[in-house]
Amino acid sequence: MPPLDVATLPDADVSAVQSQECFHDMLVGCLPRLRQQAMALTRRRADADDLVQAAVTNALAAQASFIPGTNFKAWMARILRNRFLSDVRRRRETVEMDDAPQEAFSRPASQEASIAMDELRVNLARLPADQRIALMMSAVQGLSYDEMSAELGVAVGTLKCRVFRARKQLQAWLLGEAPVDAPAKAAKIDAGLGARAHVKVNRAATRGLHA
Amino acid sequence: MPLDKKPGVRGRTPSPDAAFDLWLQRGLHAMFDDVAKEPIPPELLALIDRDRKR
Repeated sequence: MPPLDVATLPDADVSAVQSQECFHDMLVGCLPRLRQQAMALTRRRADADDLVQAAVTNALAAQASFIPGTNFKAWMARILRNRFLSDVRRRRETVEMDDAPQEAFSRPASQEASIAMDELRVNLARLPADQRIALMMSAVQGLSYDEMSAELGVAVGTLKCRVFRARKQLQAWLLGEAPVDAPAKAAKIDAGLGARAHVKVNRAATRGLHA
Repeated sequence: MPLDKKPGVRGRTPSPDAAFDLWLQRGLHAMFDDVAKEPIPPELLALIDRDRKR
């Protein structure tokens, strides 16, 4: 198909072509942050790449539904998160979630900075996915709670709670302090794999105590 | 945006919480900044480019 000659198009069509070009540029521009978010959700590089690719495919298919001038980053973040949640739901029915958190965020051994960083990686993987992404968006991407709320479609208060809980839980695990009391309801809402793996670990530990 | 930091008092030793927050923030940056800096997989860019030319 030959490229469109914008000069020959009526004004309305020129505007449509320009916004379409802008759409693709915005999409490419937000890929780095999407990859961070995918990594925070999935915990594995290969899974994160697959998730971003699926989200991009969905976004391209749904580009007509994006309203120019609205928050493109938020639109993409919601597509990514929804895709992640639907993937998790689908996998729950067929796949055992007892994956080893040690492999999370894995890197070549030569790049490991310290034992403490290894511990952080392992324990970050144990957090529920929704806490992990909230913590990452706050601490790494530097988003305000209002921005996070727009991107994730979650209330500001809930996000504050998730970041607080994530930080406190990591502190408890890493410094050996009293664990944060995580109600079962929160574990249910936090649709992350980490929560399920952690519940499984706890159940295994309980069985060990009673054996 | 920083994590939930308690307002520090000038001249005082930082609390263990503040020290942990700082360490955590640095650790998270070390973990995730690389992901954002990595080159975008060419097949992903090609996917977008194909759609752009459609």
